[in-house]
Amino acid sequence: MTLLRERGTRRPDVVVPRGRGSIRGPEARAGWLFVAPAAVLLALFVLLPVLMALWVSLTSWNGQGSPFTGRAPFVGVDNYTKLFTEDGLARQDFFTSVRNNLYYVVLVVPLQTVLALCLALVANQRLLKGRTFFRAAFYFPSVTSSVAISVVFLFLFANSGTVNAVLGLFGIDGPLWFSDSRGLVHLVLDGVGLVNLDAPPAALADHGVFGLSWWDWISGPSVAMCTIITLVVWTTSGTFMLMFLAALQDVPVALEEASLIDGANRWQRFRAVTLPHLRPVLFLVLTLGLISTWQVFDQIYVMSQGDPAKTTLTPAYLSYRTAFRSFDYGSGAAISFVLFSIIVVLTAVQRWLLRERRG
Amino acid sequence: MRNRLRRRAPLAVVAAAALFASAACGSGFDDNDKSGSAQRSGPASLQILFGSSGDAETKALQEAAAAWASATGNKATVTPAQDLAQQLGQAFAGDNPPDVFYVDAVRFADYASVGALEPYADKISNVDDFYPALRQAFTYQGKLYCVPKDFSTLALEINTDLWAKAGLTGADVPTTWDQLTAVAQKIKAKGITPLALGDTRDRIGAFMVQAGGWITNADGTQATADTPENLKALQYVQSLLKNGLARYPKQLDAGWSGEAFGKGKVAMTIEGNWIKGALQNDFPNIKYTVHELPAGPKGKGTLSFTTCWGIAAKSKQKEAAIDFVEAMTKGEQQLAFAKAFGVMPSRQSVSQQYLAQFPNDQAFVNGAQYAQGPVNAPKMDSVLADFDTGLQKLATSDPKAILQRLQKNTEAALGG
Amino acid sequence: MRRLTGTFLGYAILVFFGLVFLYPFFIQIASAFKTQADAAAHPLSLVPHPFDTSSFQRIFDSTDFPRWVGNSVLVTVLVTAGRVFFDSLAGYALARLRFPGRGGVFATVLAVMAVPGVVLFIPKFLVLNQLGIYDSYAGLILPLIADATGVFIMKQFFESVPPDVEEAARVDGAGVVRTYWSVVLPMARPALITLTILAFQGSWNEFPHTVVAVQSPELFTLPRGLADLVSGSLGKGTQYPLKLGAALLATIPVAVLFVIFQRYFVRGANEGATKG
Repeated sequence: MTLLRERGTRRPDVVVPRGRGSIRGPEARAGWLFVAPAAVLLALFVLLPVLMALWVSLTSWNGQGSPFTGRAPFVGVDNYTKLFTEDGLARQDFFTSVRNNLYYVVLVVPLQTVLALCLALVANQRLLKGRTFFRAAFYFPSVTSSVAISVVFLFLFANSGTVNAVLGLFGIDGPLWFSDSRGLVHLVLDGVGLVNLDAPPAALADHGVFGLSWWDWISGPSVAMCTIITLVVWTTSGTFMLMFLAALQDVPVALEEASLIDGANRWQRFRAVTLPHLRPVLFLVLTLGLISTWQVFDQIYVMSQGDPAKTTLTPAYLSYRTAFRSFDYGSGAAISFVLFSIIVVLTAVQRWLLRERRG
Repeated sequence: MRNRLRRRAPLAVVAAAALFASAACGSGFDDNDKSGSAQRSGPASLQILFGSSGDAETKALQEAAAAWASATGNKATVTPAQDLAQQLGQAFAGDNPPDVFYVDAVRFADYASVGALEPYADKISNVDDFYPALRQAFTYQGKLYCVPKDFSTLALEINTDLWAKAGLTGADVPTTWDQLTAVAQKIKAKGITPLALGDTRDRIGAFMVQAGGWITNADGTQATADTPENLKALQYVQSLLKNGLARYPKQLDAGWSGEAFGKGKVAMTIEGNWIKGALQNDFPNIKYTVHELPAGPKGKGTLSFTTCWGIAAKSKQKEAAIDFVEAMTKGEQQLAFAKAFGVMPSRQSVSQQYLAQFPNDQAFVNGAQYAQGPVNAPKMDSVLADFDTGLQKLATSDPKAILQRLQKNTEAALGG
Repeated sequence: MRRLTGTFLGYAILVFFGLVFLYPFFIQIASAFKTQADAAAHPLSLVPHPFDTSSFQRIFDSTDFPRWVGNSVLVTVLVTAGRVFFDSLAGYALARLRFPGRGGVFATVLAVMAVPGVVLFIPKFLVLNQLGIYDSYAGLILPLIADATGVFIMKQFFESVPPDVEEAARVDGAGVVRTYWSVVLPMARPALITLTILAFQGSWNEFPHTVVAVQSPELFTLPRGLADLVSGSLGKGTQYPLKLGAALLATIPVAVLFVIFQRYFVRGANEGATKG
């Protein structure tokens, strides 16, 4: 594939005259003609909105009339400072959503990457029959609508739903998934006996940063959030599995055989040959995972709307709710830009981290 | 360097042109002062948007609108909203909001404060006939904007079969908090869940009123959340939850407490008169009676919920819209709606007729005397949502902390 | 012997995860045919008892399901056609044609791909309002045709095709448009099919855009209608068979397409991946 690409970009000088010949003019015209529709659509529905949103985030537009006349009160960076420095509900809600999304990302990205990799490794075994069927089975959830899947999971995780029935077979009394707002870390600490859930240690509960106490910061994802995490891992592992599969199938057989001759066992072979070869795909999977997990919206909208107790509130949903429910479009836009920055920064950090190791 | 500039320049021109073009010919937004004058003449075609409680309400409203349309020679299109708050919000931002729409008392102040509503109430005949408490809910800065179309209050519903199973009789119906606790304990002893209570301020708030407190003062200008009265109320509800005498709907695997009641999971519930229609449609086999809520330390208290007919300030057919509202709020029409989908007429003059047809609603109607309406101040939406979040965790958290937080947030919303 | 256990283990893992991935769909299908009481009482069983199709009846009677399907079909067809047509044009231009501003346009495409969708919620609403197409079919369809990833994929593809055939046509005197239409496009069939699949999948399942762009129930597509059925004012009570049945019907078209065109879906996933 790479060889083909290289060949394609080398253009033989001899056939096409360069310079401002008669061919150049029509080519340029055709070029603009071809690219115009797509470019106009992109400019109109992506570039322009971003610029408009930037302006709105500097006002406190409430949805009445146009925000571009002088009528919408200009508040400068107030919407942003409200999120970071002013002690109030806006900041608290924002950082609650950031905390929730942080735990979500920290769980979903590794889980889906590892699961995808394992499935790809297993499905890559040449000797296994029915690989196509399994590949299809794993990938199928990814093509279905997130809304439809959310409906199914609402049913599965209902209080007397399938999951609790399965747990009941093992004698475990399943929690009330969607109404349980207790954080995982809290539960673990409580279960181990370190802390008492009903009486958190004063040192943690009384002090905090950004409007949330330290106790709140370390809560971990809530039980309700875990159902959404399960849903997303289940849905997206298939896509990433395919990417890993494609890369695995690219591993030069010669290299593998060489290492076999050298006497490497399975694990050594994996580490020395397969893993380095997977590095670019791994990098890609992580990047895509990061970008999409920070934007989780559909499932929140359909399944929980931020409840219970705001433990499934995410910045994307908060931005939507602030704008369209509370009619505070300025704050909503500000939240979405902060989210944008978070994603850009994290992606840059991740690129930098992985790039360094390559050297 | 020049090459790069040459490459970027056309792009910049395109972008700038697009920006200017769209800003200049922005046909999406209307300037407020222009819309007031331009009224359409001739037969009107009204757009009516409403939040339906079910098929019964949709059908009733469609029939009433059709009758009005044929009587006046106008057209009326009635559309049930999927998400009224969001749709109205987006409609107000656009050029063409519906002419007539439901305005929930909860959102009234938000809409009024941004000038989305037309204050037409003085053009409706016999405005004083509407209950004073309901009129207060739709008054902003001293002006009555719209007229209430109906109202509901909360009352105590008792499942007579489960009641008898617990060995209780009609004489045991609780009228105070202590009696409620005692009765609930007896029911629990028989292995029945006593009370299904909604986990929002729209149910628990009734206890606050019974204790003599509320979130704001009477005209919605000051925060009164952190008071001993409210604390007493929350502590009482917390004790019910902790001792298993009351449960939230989600804990009973139900979407709302009426569903838990209808499925026969609880002996009592606190709900408004909409529960009648729901039970009739979905759970017709439940036999129940309705009673006024138990009184708290300060006496009887309940919450009222009401919606008014809003007319858009941007509407181009205000005359027709006002005529429509006049027709919809006539006493007989209100009685017809009441019969169709179980709401109570908001005009005092027809209350006796209503009770004659629905004697079982005595408890609901009586509630109008001592009911507290929703918080009537703008920008309280997220504050109240946050309060609800706190209430969801009431069983395991500190009521004082919840109230302090509510106080702080309310002060910020009202003052700032 | 070790190889046998290895293979056995491999199969075991595959089967286990295969079940995990497919079981929810089986439950969904089974529960859609159960009565409400049966679904609530026996959430695990795959056999409806009794077999009840009333939820499907109710879907067609009391919800606007047929309209949702109609809207989804309209939107999907137009968006897919639009995307395939415009993206291949733009991709070819960026790959092969030289014109001033080409670098700038490509830089814009890359930048746009980096913008997360959530940032666009509010402003897209603003733009639609300004252009006067809010709450209309135009507002529902036009923004979805804007697709930077598709342009990128087509550009990558065209760059990988050897230019010999095109050059030959040019030397023969064919203009740019003729070359593109009769010579290059037929060669691009695999990429076009991939793009079609991706666009179909994307637009059929698109949800956030439908929340922001329209509000009239007549313009609801399937995901939006489904979401309102579940969490909006229609979603009173826990009527699982109804909701699961609707979700099932929403999934069937994509499922059918998937089974037939599996190869292209898989390729599409990989191509979409190379944008990173």
